Amino acid sequence: MAPAPPPGQLATVVNLPVRATRATAGATLGTLRRLVADDVDDWGRDDAVVQRMWSLAALRWQAAVGGTEHVPRRAGALVVVNARRLALAPVLAALALGDATGRPVRFVGRPDIAPIGPAMQRLGGLLACADEITGALRARQLVVLGAEHTTSNGHCGRVDHRLIGAAVAAGVAVLPAAAISSPTGRAARVELGAPVRPARRRRGPLEELELAGAVQERIDELLSEAGATLSGTPLDWVAWVGGWARTAAAGAGQ
Amino acid sequence: MGGELGCRVASLLEDEPWVGSLEGIDADPPRYRLRRARFHRIAPGDHDRVVSLVTRYNPHVVVHIAVWEPHSRANPARAAELTGDAATSILGAAAECRALEAIVVRSGIEVYGRRRGRLTRPDESVPTDPTSGYGRVLDQLEHTAAEIGRRVGTTVGSLRLASVLGPHVPSPLGRLLRMPAVPFSALANPPFAVVHLDDAARAFVAATRQRLDGPLNIVAPGAVTVTQAIRRGRRIPVPLVGPEWALARRFAYLSGSPVPEHVQELFHRGRLADNHRATDLLRFTPAASTREVIDQLYAWPTVIRIPAQRQVA
Repeated sequence: MAPAPPPGQLATVVNLPVRATRATAGATLGTLRRLVADDVDDWGRDDAVVQRMWSLAALRWQAAVGGTEHVPRRAGALVVVNARRLALAPVLAALALGDATGRPVRFVGRPDIAPIGPAMQRLGGLLACADEITGALRARQLVVLGAEHTTSNGHCGRVDHRLIGAAVAAGVAVLPAAAISSPTGRAARVELGAPVRPARRRRGPLEELELAGAVQERIDELLSEAGATLSGTPLDWVAWVGGWARTAAAGAGQ
Repeated sequence: MGGELGCRVASLLEDEPWVGSLEGIDADPPRYRLRRARFHRIAPGDHDRVVSLVTRYNPHVVVHIAVWEPHSRANPARAAELTGDAATSILGAAAECRALEAIVVRSGIEVYGRRRGRLTRPDESVPTDPTSGYGRVLDQLEHTAAEIGRRVGTTVGSLRLASVLGPHVPSPLGRLLRMPAVPFSALANPPFAVVHLDDAARAFVAATRQRLDGPLNIVAPGAVTVTQAIRRGRRIPVPLVGPEWALARRFAYLSGSPVPEHVQELFHRGRLADNHRATDLLRFTPAASTREVIDQLYAWPTVIRIPAQRQVA
């Protein structure tokens, strides 16, 4: 029969894994707590979830944001961005803009059905409803609105004038933004333009209609200034087509 | 004036320099010691006594707080009946008073409803569309008060309160959140807002002082999700997906914390409201944020032991 170890040594042997286990469990619990912090704001946006999603998005996209000097420091603003089919441009633009400006940025277009709706609400999603957008803009929030989806990366789809009306009602600036990305490359860019103002003051809903048209035109200009145009079709997924388009656009620019 | 909120409002109104005399009616006696206010214990259904008292008193301002939240102190059917009776008696009697200048009634943000596609944070301009029994009762109360105001030409202010939480407030939401294990919707886990009892009382006093006309949301700043509230209280979260809710409600009922329809709606669809107009109109901002109210909810002791002043045995 082996002699029993002295009490002090036994305690050391037993305590070592206990301490390590406690430390590991504490760290794991701390991480878990941070992961499920869901510390939401007045609109249900969770900054921790947004940060995590942005970190995940950074694995795929290397996003750059230009023209942030046009974004108001404290006031609300409506940013209208072009959207390609299946590209989730408003969400990515909101994440990128939030990272660049340090302000919480919301996007329009969350469905009101669980579990997708509440999940998108955590990311800053708002319902595609003029009153909802007006409320957010009046509360001095930055809101990203996607134009109608297109298959072309070089053109902006129709901008919903009823949703633009939210900015008119709230009396905030409407900023055009071009979202440029390629399904095959990592580089993505959100280029913001100067606030668009209607050509003339109107007393009725023509103001929204004309403003929506002007914003669409300005986004088209921004897209054409940015160069790299893709077809927006599945062909873009083939590397050489995307590369060829970029090369052609760069050549045309020179 | 007998409930927690009514008593608190009466207590604050006593300190207002513009308030001459103050009288109150309730089915239950006041919780606090009131210095100037006179209390009359009358059942809500006793219309004759209420009418007689109110017309004799001939008030300038009527603050109507007599709203029974389902499963707070009465079951949903009885709560709706008591609320309806009190509204008919008190507002009806007030309409007969020549001196009446203003009516302020208690309502709730449940009047906006949570139908699919409804705004996340409705403001006062959004039409009401209640989707719960409690919301419909409050909506009806607002309509009754507005109709009386239109007929007799007085201002009518409705304070649409978020769920009121406070020490000793019999709130079904507060009671459920304080259970050792709390169910939540695993698919939705929506955000909601509440308001502290003291802030709600201060809002009533501000609305009365300024003769509020129209509805006004009274909501604490910020929001919490159900899981966040559960975690703040260190309760056990019980994720539910759908059909188990019926079972969970029965179990909660047996455990002494029944879940009324509007609280279940809050757990599934959330409940927020835009509160900026309260600041603009009344210069009123709730002192406690939603998170602070939730923290206080768990800090309030279940039983307060007051030691005897003199030991007799």
